[in-house]
Amino acid sequence: MGLLSGYRVLDLTDERGLLAGRMLADLGADVVQVEPLAGSRARHAAPLGDRDGQPHSYVWATFAANKRGIAVDLGHETGRHVLRQLASQADFFVESLGPGAAASMGLGWPELSEINPALVYATITAFGHDGPKAGYAETDLIVWAAGGPLEPNRDGTRPPLRISVPQAFLNAAADAAGGMLLAHHARTRDGRGQVVDVAAQACLGLNTLGRVLADPVGDEHPEWAALISPTARTDQSGSGTGTSSHLKKWRCKDGLVEFHLAIGQAAGPFTNNFFRWMHAEGAGHDALLRWDWRTLPDLVKRGEFTEEDMQEVRSATAAFLAAKTKNEILQAAIAYKLLCIGVSDTADLAHSPQLAERDYYVTLGSGRRAQTMPGRWAAVSIPAFELHRPAPEIGEHTDEVLAGWLGYDGQVRRSLRDERVIA
Amino acid sequence: MRPPPLEGLKVADFSWVVAGPVVGRALADFGATVVRIESGTRIETARMMQPFYGGRAGRENSALYGTCNAGKYGLTLNLKTAEGLGVARDLAAWADVVAESYAPGQMARWALDYASIRAVNPSVIMLSTSLMGQTGPSARLAGYGNIGASVSGYQDLVGWPDQLPIGPFGPYTDYIGPRFSLVAVLAALDHRRRTGEGCHIDLAQSEVGVFLLSPQLADYFDRGTVAQRRGNADEQFAPHGVYPCLPEQGRDRFVAIAVCDDAQWPVLAAELVRPDLAADPGLADAPGRLARAGELDDVLAAWTATQRAEDVQARLQARGVPAHLAVTSADWARDPQLTHRGHLRELPDERFGAAFVEGPRYLLSETPGQVTRPAPALGQDNEHVLRGLLGYDQADYDRVAASGALA
Repeated sequence: MGLLSGYRVLDLTDERGLLAGRMLADLGADVVQVEPLAGSRARHAAPLGDRDGQPHSYVWATFAANKRGIAVDLGHETGRHVLRQLASQADFFVESLGPGAAASMGLGWPELSEINPALVYATITAFGHDGPKAGYAETDLIVWAAGGPLEPNRDGTRPPLRISVPQAFLNAAADAAGGMLLAHHARTRDGRGQVVDVAAQACLGLNTLGRVLADPVGDEHPEWAALISPTARTDQSGSGTGTSSHLKKWRCKDGLVEFHLAIGQAAGPFTNNFFRWMHAEGAGHDALLRWDWRTLPDLVKRGEFTEEDMQEVRSATAAFLAAKTKNEILQAAIAYKLLCIGVSDTADLAHSPQLAERDYYVTLGSGRRAQTMPGRWAAVSIPAFELHRPAPEIGEHTDEVLAGWLGYDGQVRRSLRDERVIA
Repeated sequence: MRPPPLEGLKVADFSWVVAGPVVGRALADFGATVVRIESGTRIETARMMQPFYGGRAGRENSALYGTCNAGKYGLTLNLKTAEGLGVARDLAAWADVVAESYAPGQMARWALDYASIRAVNPSVIMLSTSLMGQTGPSARLAGYGNIGASVSGYQDLVGWPDQLPIGPFGPYTDYIGPRFSLVAVLAALDHRRRTGEGCHIDLAQSEVGVFLLSPQLADYFDRGTVAQRRGNADEQFAPHGVYPCLPEQGRDRFVAIAVCDDAQWPVLAAELVRPDLAADPGLADAPGRLARAGELDDVLAAWTATQRAEDVQARLQARGVPAHLAVTSADWARDPQLTHRGHLRELPDERFGAAFVEGPRYLLSETPGQVTRPAPALGQDNEHVLRGLLGYDQADYDRVAASGALA
C-alpha cells in the first residue's frame, strides 16, 4: 500500500510531463500512461541507449516507470471515445499535449467534466493555454531563458549557461503533481474537480533564489552581475550565490571540490573550521589561523585584510585540497563541519555509500527489461511508496486496463484492435 | 465560492532558508494556518539574502524571505529557554503538520523529534527536510544548497566543456526539495484522512536532486555513461544555444535559440539570409547539424550580435522558430505572459508600501491560491499565536513574554 493507493490517474503526458504521474505512481496511485499506437515521442528523448537493437530512451525508462501503459489512437473518433470512457473512471487526468491540443480532440475540461465532474484535470504547458506567448515555439532551453534562471548564471564574458540536463519541464511536472493533490484536497470536501493549470515559465522564478523579484523591489545591487573579488564584496549568505562560481571550484586528487570561502557571522564559522582542519593536518601555517572569517568584512573595510592576503589564502587552500580525495574531504566535512564537498558526477552518485545505505536505487523489471534507477524519493515512517514495474512497452496493459476500468471484454477489444484504434 | 482546500489545516513551520519554508508557503496559499517559528536573535539566513527592498540589507528587507514566507504568522522563540521550548512543544501538539529543516538530530535534542511529538499528537505529519536525509553515514553533513548541488551532481553539469564547471544558479536542490516535499505532505494528509494514521517524512534534498537526473543514472547503470557538461549544446538538436545581442543600457543581453525539428532549420537559415546553409544537404537533418554545431553557433552569434534580443525573439517566434531572450528581473516583472497569468503578486505592506511575491505555480480554476498577507516581521504575531491559536490566557502569555522566551 502506498499513500495514494486506490486512486486512478489517466496520464497523457510526454517527456514534458511524465514526471508528474511517476511521482503519483510511486506513492501508490494506479497511473495509466496513454500513448499513440506508434509510441510516445518521449521514447525518443535523450539520452538514448539500445535494447535488443531498438532505441531505448532513459527518459522514458525512468519517468514512465511504475506506470501501466496503453496505446490508443486519439486521431480516431473511436479512440477519443475510449479515452473519454477512461476519463469517466479516473480521479486525475494530466496532459502535456500543447496549448489547445486536448480541447481540439474533445478531451478538454468542458467535455471531460461533463462526464466526470469530480475529475482533477491538470495541464502542463510551456507558457499557458492563452495569453500573448501561449503559441510560442518552445523547448526546454527556451522556457529556461523565459523563466529567469538562465540569465544570471554566467561566469566571465561568455553567455549564460543552462544545466546540461534539461530541467525546466521537470520542475513544472513536479509542480503539477503538487497542484493536482491540492485540487484533490478541495475535492475531498465537496466532491468536485477542477482544472490545474501549470505553465513551466511561471514555475521557474523559484529557481532563481528570489532574483526575479529584484527589479520589483528596487534592488539593483551590482553584486548580482559583477565578478568581484571576495575581498571587495559582502556575500555573507554562506551559499556563495553572489560569488563567482570559479572561485568556489578547486581541484582535488580525484576530481573537483566545491568550497566557498564564506565570510560573516552566519557562514564565517564554517570557513574557520576549514582552516582548523588544514592546521590539524599540518598543512596550514599558523598565519592562516589569524583571520576570523566571521569578522572578515570589518577587516576588509579597515584595510586589514587585503587582496594579497586573499591570494595567499587561496593558494594555500588550493595546494592543500589538491592532495585530498573527495572521500577524505567528505569525512572532514562531517568531522569538522565544513561547507566543502567533492563535486559528484554520475559515477559518484551511482556508487554513493550514503544513497546505498538509504536503499535509494531500485531495479524495476527483470531479465532484458531490468532497469536500475532512483527509486523512493523520500523515506517515510509508514509504507508510502510502491515501486513495482518498469516503464511499459507500447500497449503492454491495454487489455487489462480496458477490462479492469471499463469492463471491455475480449471481443470488444479485438474489434478495437482490428480497427487500429488500440494496440 | 468553494472554500480553500486546506482551510482548517494547522502547520508549525520550524524550517528555515528556502527548501522548507517554500512548502509552508504553498500550504498557506491554499488555506492552511501556518506559524513560522524563528529565533529573534540568531537571524534566519534568508532574511540576510538578496534581493532587498530598496537595495538595503536588513532583517526585514529580504524579498527572498518575503516570497518564501508570505501568508504565514510570525513567531519569535528562543529555544534555549525552557519557556521557549514549552511553546514549541505546544505548537507541535497543536499542529496537523510540523515542518523542520534543522541538522539531523537537533529536534531530538529539544524533544521535538517525531517520536516525542507523536506521543502527544498521535496523527501528526512531520516533514524533516535536510541535505542528505536523517540517516546514513553522511547524514550530519552540513550545508547550504551549493553543497546540495555538489552532492546531487549539478555542479558538474553546468559549464563549458573546456573550463571548470560553474554549477547552477544558487542552491539548486533548494528549488527541487520543496516541490517533492509538498507532494509527500499532501499525500500523507490524504492518507491520514482515510486512515487516521500520521507519519514522518524524511526528505533529502540531495535525493530529489538526483531524482531529476534519473535518466542519466539509468544510463550510467546500463552503459557506464558519465553525464557531461556541454555548454548550452543539446544531445539531439542543433543549433541550440544562447547568443549575445546588442547591449542595452550598458548591460549584456542574450537570446536563446533552439532548432528542435528539421522543418525549423531552413526557416531559421532564411532569416539569417544564408540560402547556402538552407540548401546545404549536410545540414538538412539533426545529425548533420550536430556535427557542425560549432560552425552554426558562430553564424548565429554573428547574426544576433547586431540585434536587440527582444527583436530576435519576436522575428524568430513569428516564423515558429523557438527563441526567447534570457530574461532579467526587469524583463520578468514586465513579461506579458506572466502578467497575463497574474503571477507577480503585489500586497499592501506597512514596511515597504507594497510587497512583491511570486504567485502559486499551479493555477486552480475553482479554488485558486490566495496570498493573504506579506511575510511576517520578526515576532509580529507572537501574541496572536500564543493567545489566539494556542489558547494561552493573558497571565500565561505575560509569563512567557517576561521570561524572554519570545525575544
